[in-house]
Amino acid sequence: MSDIPLSPLNPEWPRAQAESRAHGGLLSWVASIDHKEIAIMYLITTIFFFVVGGLEALAMRVQLAIPNNHFVSPEVYDQLFTMHGTTMVFLVVMPVLIGLATYFVPLMIGARDMAFPRLNALSYWLLLLGGALLYYSFLTSRAPDMGWFSYAPLSEKPFAPLPGPSFWALGLLLTGIGTVASAINIIVTTFSLRAPGMTMRRLPLFVWMSMVNSFVILFALPALNAALVMLLVDRKLSGNFFTPASGGSAILWQHFFWAFGHPEVYIMVLPAFGIISEVIPVFSRKEIFGYPFVAASTVAIGLLSFAVWAHHMFAVGMGHAMDVFFAVGSMLIAIPTGVKIFNWCATLWYGSIQFTTSMMYALAFLLEFTIGGLTGVMFTLVPVDWQVTDTYFVVAHMHYVLFGGTAFALFAAGYYWFPKITGRMLSERLGRWQFWTVLIGFNMTFFVQHILGFDGMNRRVFTYPDLPHWGLYNMISTIGAFILGFGALLFIINIEYSRRHGAIAGDNPWNAWTLEWATTSPPPPQNFDAVPPVRSRRPVWDLMHPEDPDWKDSH
Amino acid sequence: MAAAAPALTSRYLDPIRLGVLLLIATEATFFVFLISGYVYYRVMVHTTPTAAQELDPFKTGLFSIALFASSATMGVAHRRVHHPQRRGLALWLGLTIVLGATFLLGQGLEYVHLYRQQFTIARNVYGSSFFTLTGFHGLHVFAGLLILLTLTGLVMADRRHAIPDVAFDAAAYYWHFVDAVWVVIFTLVYLVK
Amino acid sequence: MGLAMLVLLPTFDPASPYAAATHHLLLISLWMAAGIFALVCFLVFYAIIRFRYRPGQGTPKRISGNRNLEIAWTVGPFLLLVYLFIATLHSMAGTDPSAKNAAPALTVIGHQWWWEVRYPDGVVTANEVHIPAGQRLLIRLEAADVIHDFWVPRLGRKMDMIPGKPNEMWIGASQPGVYQGSCSEYCGREHAWMRFKVVAQTPADYTAWLSQQAQLPPAPSSAEAEQGAKDFQQLTCANCHRIAGTAASSGVAGPDLTHVGSRLTLGAGRLINNPQNMREWLRSPETYKPGCYMPNLRLTPAQLDALTAYLEGLK
Repeated sequence: MSDIPLSPLNPEWPRAQAESRAHGGLLSWVASIDHKEIAIMYLITTIFFFVVGGLEALAMRVQLAIPNNHFVSPEVYDQLFTMHGTTMVFLVVMPVLIGLATYFVPLMIGARDMAFPRLNALSYWLLLLGGALLYYSFLTSRAPDMGWFSYAPLSEKPFAPLPGPSFWALGLLLTGIGTVASAINIIVTTFSLRAPGMTMRRLPLFVWMSMVNSFVILFALPALNAALVMLLVDRKLSGNFFTPASGGSAILWQHFFWAFGHPEVYIMVLPAFGIISEVIPVFSRKEIFGYPFVAASTVAIGLLSFAVWAHHMFAVGMGHAMDVFFAVGSMLIAIPTGVKIFNWCATLWYGSIQFTTSMMYALAFLLEFTIGGLTGVMFTLVPVDWQVTDTYFVVAHMHYVLFGGTAFALFAAGYYWFPKITGRMLSERLGRWQFWTVLIGFNMTFFVQHILGFDGMNRRVFTYPDLPHWGLYNMISTIGAFILGFGALLFIINIEYSRRHGAIAGDNPWNAWTLEWATTSPPPPQNFDAVPPVRSRRPVWDLMHPEDPDWKDSH
Repeated sequence: MAAAAPALTSRYLDPIRLGVLLLIATEATFFVFLISGYVYYRVMVHTTPTAAQELDPFKTGLFSIALFASSATMGVAHRRVHHPQRRGLALWLGLTIVLGATFLLGQGLEYVHLYRQQFTIARNVYGSSFFTLTGFHGLHVFAGLLILLTLTGLVMADRRHAIPDVAFDAAAYYWHFVDAVWVVIFTLVYLVK
Repeated sequence: MGLAMLVLLPTFDPASPYAAATHHLLLISLWMAAGIFALVCFLVFYAIIRFRYRPGQGTPKRISGNRNLEIAWTVGPFLLLVYLFIATLHSMAGTDPSAKNAAPALTVIGHQWWWEVRYPDGVVTANEVHIPAGQRLLIRLEAADVIHDFWVPRLGRKMDMIPGKPNEMWIGASQPGVYQGSCSEYCGREHAWMRFKVVAQTPADYTAWLSQQAQLPPAPSSAEAEQGAKDFQQLTCANCHRIAGTAASSGVAGPDLTHVGSRLTLGAGRLINNPQNMREWLRSPETYKPGCYMPNLRLTPAQLDALTAYLEGLK
């Protein structure tokens, strides 16, 4: 195998690795600057916060199970939904996607680590510190209770004199800085550390989408950071930015927040698209259909995501001209998203579909995400938004995108990549149970919420009057939530069981084609001793089928 | 393996240069939002006193010239990096630091003056947006000074000229960026009435 | 059955031309979404059945893409969106017609957590908006503290009520009736119980109601009510609540109670207005609306009876 060229080394790698290995035990994790170890810390942290956020959601569902319930007080309920939203967005979905990118981007491009290993560690520790600060607020008598969107002036001192919103702002600033650092790291890694032959046109789609995602982070997070700084000036230095009583503007907060908040939606879903673009081809035994279109549509989504923010503000009364402008931007974004769905479907056709748990999640993703996408288009139709925004229809829509979309993709990623990370397979048997439990629980919880929205039930209400059907639909939703919670628990049980007793995975249990499968499971500290030559989008296929390599075919 | 190393720099972008450019891009976006906040309040809200009425463009202009000049001295220092002996590098870096510190001193004096006039961050939206915007810029100048001080110290201790060029590239890019942001802020806050 | 259930939903049961314009677009978008979802279902399920792995099957042949298909599924959705865009413009004009050169007929002000409704000629009521059926009124929406949102699903669009930025919109109902409304923007602890009703009356009834509301309330009709009127002034009630024609003329923190006896609900939709509920509400507001700003004054049973008699008499 003397013709196999070596990959360019990250110059910092050997020294970094030596330092990381110098200590044993727990300290080696704390001091680690190895991208795989940092990524594992990301994943464990996000699973922890997923459990916390999930328990908050279950408490809310208990409260809403029947009309006029007294399970929790409105004060507690407000803290629950604020912390649930904030936790899931900032401490679960965003960091788990960054964690996966931290693990797999270097492996998939044939690099030995991220471009800046120390910065990588800093990002993770900032996330943990921000999360700790956010949750510390519970000990100060009251956690933030003004909603994850923190609309002024409800978040300002006159209406929120307790320190909750300040902890919220500080916590998000810290995680936000960490996230921006991760984004820089992922972009630089992708541009600078690719193995020879790994051109941009051969880049795995997960890497493509993580990179585009990082650009979106780079330009979206500053909007939030600026708004948080201004909110802190208001709260701590008696500033006047968002207090209408002293000349400030309640609307400006909304513009700043959504200038971040809508790109944020794509930040939470683009890498999930990347996961689906890896899993579907492998289990269809067929390369992705329309690679350039899937990659280019990602760029289109990334760019358009900055021209849609005010569709969250149609009810503000901005005037029809503004409404129409943002409606057009929001409608256009449906096109590249649709292109992706159709390309994934086309990848399935004429394939040889293997129903692994990972693939079942990816197939379910196609349907669930389509529902969330279509209801998303409904919100671009301004009068429909005027009717159902801020109702349970939004709650349903957004969970179809973030759970039916992102979380399903993450479960697919879990079953797909767990063998690479641990060297053992997740139990497929438990996986089947888990899949059907989650599928049934999820749809039961959230499908009826569409109807509740049409029925006039607002979001963020701690209880509701006993109007016809409201109790019934809410009860169905609550039962579904517990089934879904049980499904999530099965996943954690599967991880705990399989990491000890799972079948040994071997290097490439799925016969997959990207570079992370060209090394051992788990990969050695240096990732690769030698990187296979990259002459097509499927280097491991070429390695295994020297008689019929891709590069002789078309690319 | 050593043979592969040059390929890294010739075929791909240098990680540190690219990283600093991305940092500048995200920081610039942050300032775009602070600046648009300032402009929004200036256009939409009509209360007095405004920062614009209280400010002295001439005095601040003089201190601004110090900052603009520091970009020029940074440029000279940056060129000295490639000089065989890196002669004069520490001197020009030091000059940049002095000019940057002069600017910060001017900003400090201005703040003291404004606070004596009861023009504070809590006074009204102009106060809030003026101090937040210029304060965050000042913070960036301060961070730049720390970087330059560190570099100067290293250069003076570095007899074999082993500090890689990219370290100076990164510092120079950042310093020019901080300077450019001030051009925009100075124009909008002090010159446009 | 599914359709029958949809008809029961307020958003599918428009009672004004504005809501009808939205409803039309809503139906178009739902049918279109259903069609596209059916297409994706077909693509996925057909593939699952037809192209599943079968033992002995070789590797599928390479298909890297198809330019014509890519163009088709880019242009197809684009054309659908163009149609939806035109339908949206049409629906916007119908749902939210221009209010240029029109003066608002009434003002609704959102408070944490109740609604103040002000008519010209000094009529002030709370938590219910009376309108003449078959006519349109321009309403002005304001907020006293934080952002609220005015929403009556069967009558039309929702509109935020933002401190420092008044909004205006048309409201009307084709038929007389009572329509459910609520605050649709999270506004703090009792957001859930910030509800109201729109009462659409025949124009004659509406005029009668308005002139009755403009008059001073009847004097207390019993000794108990007489005592209640005194208690109202002596206890701290009058600090927050106004009753026209009495010494309680300056309270603005809580709803105007001039004609509270004639209202449909108490506590912004929390309780049906009857003497029993009024007594309960006065006895312990926090039981029914925890966190609300109305304090528990620890009234004695006699005070409760007296105040209830007085307030329920304010018709």
